[in-house]
This record gives sequence, structure tokens and C-alpha cells, in this order.
Amino acid sequence: MADPHQLFDDTSSAQSRGYRAQQAASGLGYPATSTLPQAAFLADPVSNMAMAYGSSLAAQGKELVDKNIDRFIPVTKLKYYFAVDTVYVGKKLGLLVFPYLHQDWEVQYQQDTPVAPRFDVNAPDLYIPAMAFITYILVAGLALGTQDRFSPDLLGLQASSALAWLALEVVAILLSLYLVTVNTDLTTIDLVAFLGYKYVGMIGGVLMGLLFGKMGYYLVLGWCCVSIFVFMIRTLRLKILAQAAAEGVPVRGARNQLRMYLTMAVAAAQPLLMYWLTFHLVR
Amino acid sequence: MAFTLYSLLQAALLCVNAIAVLHEERFLKNIGWGTDQGIGGFGEEPGIKSQLMNLIRSVRTVMRVPLIIVNSVAIVLLLLFG
Repeated sequence: MADPHQLFDDTSSAQSRGYRAQQAASGLGYPATSTLPQAAFLADPVSNMAMAYGSSLAAQGKELVDKNIDRFIPVTKLKYYFAVDTVYVGKKLGLLVFPYLHQDWEVQYQQDTPVAPRFDVNAPDLYIPAMAFITYILVAGLALGTQDRFSPDLLGLQASSALAWLALEVVAILLSLYLVTVNTDLTTIDLVAFLGYKYVGMIGGVLMGLLFGKMGYYLVLGWCCVSIFVFMIRTLRLKILAQAAAEGVPVRGARNQLRMYLTMAVAAAQPLLMYWLTFHLVR
Repeated sequence: MAFTLYSLLQAALLCVNAIAVLHEERFLKNIGWGTDQGIGGFGEEPGIKSQLMNLIRSVRTVMRVPLIIVNSVAIVLLLLFG
């Protein structure tokens, strides 16, 4: 389109021309001329320097982000929670829906650090909660669509509503753990993982509700609620009531009783939230 | 069901403001929740009440300055955007 000689002299238009040519072909004939301005772009010494400067800036920025990312997001700790494989996911999903036959709920340790989820089905992970959350949003969109109530901003509203409830739950449980002075190794990320497991039951309930109407929804949701209740009690009992549960002694004493109440309250909040977040999706 | 993250932030700001306005001398001492009345020796378990009092005192100490900033920002935003 333009005179190639002009591109040699004017580096700014050469840069913009080269940049636009590198973008997806807009079909205006740029692909035909893309080789010529790019050759001119690279041969020009000033734009060479500009490119080198730009790439060094980018490398510096990347270094800065890599150095400081660990301060805000504990990346290495997060990697532990995503070290899963298919067998683990299958077993864990089965455990979430049918926890009644599982005998040993202890997490195995390997020299003071918990074993990665890949090797122990009792270890918490963040893969299932993350995937379940996203699937829940998509299923909510599907459910709203079948009732002609869908609009794209409703998806965002569902997502932020579920996230807000999750954040509220985490804060409430951390606050009550602090007040009851429980010496537990339950980290915040562990807690987020445990609280995210209820999305699996919610997805099952809503899907059954879509297929079989209200009866199917109530049946499957009821089953999943009871399963999550049992799952949470058995898992949290080991974390919160560590000493008593490890010996298998039934809990006595005021302090242990308070901890037991806390565990039951956390576990009871799960079915309530499961119902609250899904009942408006199934009509 | 419009429980968004933004409303959660607003609620959190209001709660922290509520904790910050509890005056130590005029109010907390009168209901027996002052921090010099709470420490019950070096027993193992502090108990819920002294944990709460510690929490209130630490929230008031730590959040004093950030609350000024966040409240000013919130006031300006609410004035501008309603």
C-alpha cells in the first residue's frame, strides 16, 4: 500500500506498520506487504536498538514479577495443592459422594511435611474445588438458560456471590478457630480446599434437577448434603480435635466439647449453603 | 441474592469501623472488657472472653491508620458515584 522507501526513513511508521503486520491478518492486504516492512524494520539500526531495549525491559519486568510474586501469592505452597492425578481425583470424588466405608482418614506425613495429594487420598487439594467452582458457574448458566432467565451479567453475579459466601465462611471459621484457641495445623488454603468440596454436591444436585425436576434435585442434594456433612466431620475431627481423636477416645471436657461443637457447626453450615446457593436455580 | 464481593467489602469495612469506635476508657472498662482486667494469669487456655478482648485491642491498634485511608476513599467514592 505505502511506498517502501518511505518506511526506511520514518521509523515510527515502520514500527507501527511492523506491529500491525504481526497482528492477526485483518484481510486488508497487510499480509502481502508484511514481509517488506518487517525486513525494513529489522534492518534499521535505530529500530534494532529500540527492539533490544524493549526486550530488556520486558525481561526486567518478568524478573521483578518473579521475585515479588512469592510475597503475595505463595506459589510453592499452591503447587502442592495441584499435584494431583486422575486416580486421586476419581477416588476423592467417590469419597465426597460416599464417605461411609472409608476407614482411615489420617493424612500421611513424610518427614514433617504432608504427602502430596497424588499419594494420599486424604490430603486436601485445590484442583477439585477450583474445577467444581467453575463447573458450578457454568451449570448455573445452563440452568438459568433453560428457564429463559439467562443474561451474561447473571453469570458474573453468580460467580461473585459464591466467592463472597466462600470468603465469608473462611473468615468466620478462622475467627472462631482463633477464639477457641485451637492449636491446629489447618492452614487457610487447607480450609479453602475443604470448603470448596461442597460445589461437587451442588453441581450434582442442579444437574439432576435439570434432568428430573424438583424431585431429582431434592433427592440428590439431600444425599450429597449428608455425605458432605459426614465427610467434613470425619476430616475436621482429625484436624481440630487432634489429640483426642488420634487416640480414638470420645471427647470429654469443656474445651473438647467446644471444639466438637465448632466442628459440627462448620459441617452443618455446608448443607445449608449448598441449598442456599442452588435452590433458586431449579424451578 | 445479590450478595456480591463488593457488598462483602462494604460489610467488612463497617464491621471494622464498629470495632474501632469502641473506646477503651469510656466504654470497655465499664462493661468489664478493658484490657487490663482480662489477663487471668499464665494458665494454658486464655478463654474466649480474653481472646475477644485481645482481638478488639489488636484490631484497634493495627487498623487505626489504614481505616482513615480506606474510609476517606470510601467517602469520596460514595459521594462521586452514589
